[in-house]
Amino acid sequence: MEQTQSQKKHKVVIYSTPSCMYCRLAKDYFKQQNVAYEEYNVQADVLKREQMFKVSGQMGVPVIDIDGQITVGFDKDRIKQLLGVS
Amino acid sequence: MLAKMPEQDSVYDVVIVGSGAAGLAAALYAGRYQMRTLVVEGEFGGETAKAGIIENYPGTPKIDGYDLMQTMKQQAIDVGAHYLEGWVSDIDGEEGCFVVTVGSTKYYAKTIILSGGAERKKLELPNEKELSNKGIHYCVTCDGPLYGGKRVAMVGGGDASLKGVLLLGAYAEKIYLLARSTVKGEPINVEHIKKLGDKVVILEGTQVAEIVGKDKLEKIILTKPYEGSTELVVGGLFVEIGAKPNITLGQKLGCTLDKFGYLEADTLMRTTVPGVFVAGDTVNAFGAFKQIVTGAAMGAVAATSAYEYARQHADLLCKVHWKIAPTGIAA
Repeated sequence: MEQTQSQKKHKVVIYSTPSCMYCRLAKDYFKQQNVAYEEYNVQADVLKREQMFKVSGQMGVPVIDIDGQITVGFDKDRIKQLLGVS
Repeated sequence: MLAKMPEQDSVYDVVIVGSGAAGLAAALYAGRYQMRTLVVEGEFGGETAKAGIIENYPGTPKIDGYDLMQTMKQQAIDVGAHYLEGWVSDIDGEEGCFVVTVGSTKYYAKTIILSGGAERKKLELPNEKELSNKGIHYCVTCDGPLYGGKRVAMVGGGDASLKGVLLLGAYAEKIYLLARSTVKGEPINVEHIKKLGDKVVILEGTQVAEIVGKDKLEKIILTKPYEGSTELVVGGLFVEIGAKPNITLGQKLGCTLDKFGYLEADTLMRTTVPGVFVAGDTVNAFGAFKQIVTGAAMGAVAATSAYEYARQHADLLCKVHWKIAPTGIAA
């Protein structure tokens, strides 16, 4: 689990695998926006993998939970919208 | 990595569509030619960024594809390329000047380099879409690690498929490699697969006939029996069966296609439309041999050709737009 510094109030969780490019793009974007996030490595953490499947209904990464809103993949426009970033 | 933002309504010497190895190499060379360069980045890094560990790019014995593309991007930024995230929605020629539309904004260009890559092919089978990410996957570096201890299948006999099998080898219990004809990847990758022993079963001359599952993949039906049955129970099915070139923008500009459906180009990466160049997986320059090094080489050649074209026609191109903003290459 990783915690970054934040200036924002959103609760952001990313379910990821270490070799996933879209996960890295998403994390790079959060860092760029100073958005704190919790990261679950679902390659190693089976319980979190099951949780990811439960919240998203599928097995593709990344799954991003922003304030309870689920996004599958790195959909930057939707993430911007959920974060209120222009 | 601080990329310069594009300048709306200004004239670029070259607009590069796509930011894979071909597009970023083109941006590097265009920048070094002191061309005003704009890269329109639909998806960062193209296929290379998703390729996992790269061991065959000269000068870098072993590097993650994502990191390699970050480095390429930084190199292009360092020589002055501007970056724009987004997809080109329209492109047109207008009085010796190309107009590139991204969202609601237009950018003017003396030359265009099309390096938008290719889109991965799907199996085109019933149930495939419904079970996408529910057992069927197209990004093995992303989703392969989720199949630790599971039985999985990889479809495709090319090198991308072999690399996928090698990645899955670190996690999966058993991997079935399904090749339509024979396995045709690099011998070194075939050797690596042999080292995985019984974990990998190669089924040549075998395709997926049917995908079975309701809420998730349950099994696949093969076109040829394996151990007396065409049913194969797998938890995951990874698809690496090649890609279709993204030719839409080229067609919009009037570029001719070759007999394989790629944008036609000569050895200088010139399409059949003056001022329009091409690089990477949208062109068939090296046949089926599509590598990062060939993509980068095509990008370098395309940028050089674009530079020569812009220089030779500097007194003609985008003159209508000179009043908007000056350009980089003088007549």
